[in-house]
Amino acid sequence: MSAYDEVEIEDMEWNAELKAYTYPCPCGDLFQITLEDLRLGEEIARCPSCSLFLTVVYNAEDFADAKEPPHKPGPSPVAVA
Amino acid sequence: MEAAAAAAAAPEERRREEEEEAEWAWSWGAGTDGQLGNGGFDDHHLPQPLLLPTRCRGRVSLVAGGGAHAIALTSDGEVFTWGRGTHGQLGHGNLDSIPHPKFVKFLENHKVTCVSAGWNHSGFATDSGKLFMCGDGSFGQLGTGDNHSRNLPFEVAYFTARHIEKLALGMRHSLVLLKDNSVYGFGSARRGQVGKCASRNEKSHNVPRLIDGFSDFKIVNIYANGDHSAALDEYGHLYIWGRALIGEHDNDQPCVVLPSLSISQVALGWHHALILSAGELFTIGVYRHQNCDLPAPRNVVGQQSNTSGASSSHDGSSSLSATKKIPCIDGEQVLQIASGTEHSAFVTDKGTVFTWGWGEHGQLGLGDTSDQVVPQRVNIAVSSGPRGVYCGSGFTVAVDLD
Repeated sequence: MSAYDEVEIEDMEWNAELKAYTYPCPCGDLFQITLEDLRLGEEIARCPSCSLFLTVVYNAEDFADAKEPPHKPGPSPVAVA
Repeated sequence: MEAAAAAAAAPEERRREEEEEAEWAWSWGAGTDGQLGNGGFDDHHLPQPLLLPTRCRGRVSLVAGGGAHAIALTSDGEVFTWGRGTHGQLGHGNLDSIPHPKFVKFLENHKVTCVSAGWNHSGFATDSGKLFMCGDGSFGQLGTGDNHSRNLPFEVAYFTARHIEKLALGMRHSLVLLKDNSVYGFGSARRGQVGKCASRNEKSHNVPRLIDGFSDFKIVNIYANGDHSAALDEYGHLYIWGRALIGEHDNDQPCVVLPSLSISQVALGWHHALILSAGELFTIGVYRHQNCDLPAPRNVVGQQSNTSGASSSHDGSSSLSATKKIPCIDGEQVLQIASGTEHSAFVTDKGTVFTWGWGEHGQLGLGDTSDQVVPQRVNIAVSSGPRGVYCGSGFTVAVDLD
């Protein structure tokens, strides 16, 4: 089985709770790849709910020593009434 | 004797009770966020009763399915939402996920005429032409001029003096059709889904922008899912833009596909589209999860934002070659079509629901998690009147419409 899709890291969203970059999975859950995965050169983001996975495109040097996500995460979802 | 009298009196009463108790709304598939609206948080591989209030029976006009939430609209303009609420997409003023349909009180003084659900956002248009949005706004997909999320429906001020007719929400973008026949887009612009970008650095727009490139014919409907966008005009011409459904080139301008067909209905997935034309059903694109043997293209995703000049791959002949006809159902006509991310559904004039595509979460409703290449009949009660079928990302809903 090959990757469901290929996504650039800048199209993924940093999720502070999961400590992972995420991207929508067609099942309704999220593909996830942790900062630790990226430091180790992992390029597969997996969905905890199904068999599908993504290939993540990123520059390994950006993550070699990263302690915080180097790509600016989007504004965290603040609920405003 | 008493027993016989009771039995004689019973049929009328029993019939009334049966009518009241008979199922009329169902859901199946992925359910871990409560999106099946059946009271639970589990997947189901067979149709489950969808817990819409009994007073909605015969009044549901549309159900919109999002990433893991759903919106039901009634003919009186009432709105119910359920499923994942983590970004405020249910519009109840909190971030709770709920496993049963709940009336959206905020909209009770409005008559809602159109609803749509994106990955984590929701939109509502009213009979007076107002547009309300809620949910995830981090890509500007609420059109409010900022990137905030909102947990109550929020009127989009940009359109205050205009009249919204229809809306369609994709993964991270939104489209609206105005009464004056113009189409606007807002949200993520990465794949051309909200039209042309002024510069390549613009990744999203939180203020609505006019999408041009249509002919002068009246546009009758708009569609969005994933990073795809589409519009249909009164003569059945289909425009598609955004992420490529055919080939590898995204397109930031509406482009006519399948010009030889007179198209009456469209449903978009994340990698495929369903098209109904003169009673014949076609798909373009592929179910990506089945596309297992093809090596994934590498390092091309980001470069595709340069989408100009891609139209050559979208002319009639090449798009036809990527089009597949779905076999007819003997003796039945397809009346209405729907598409999830990677599965498809339709309902026939006999009220039968068919599904096919990806089945891992039971979203085909066939009792297992198998994928299906051709449409399969879903086992729900025979319908005496019209029936609607609707899809969210990994789930499916069927409702008897009267």
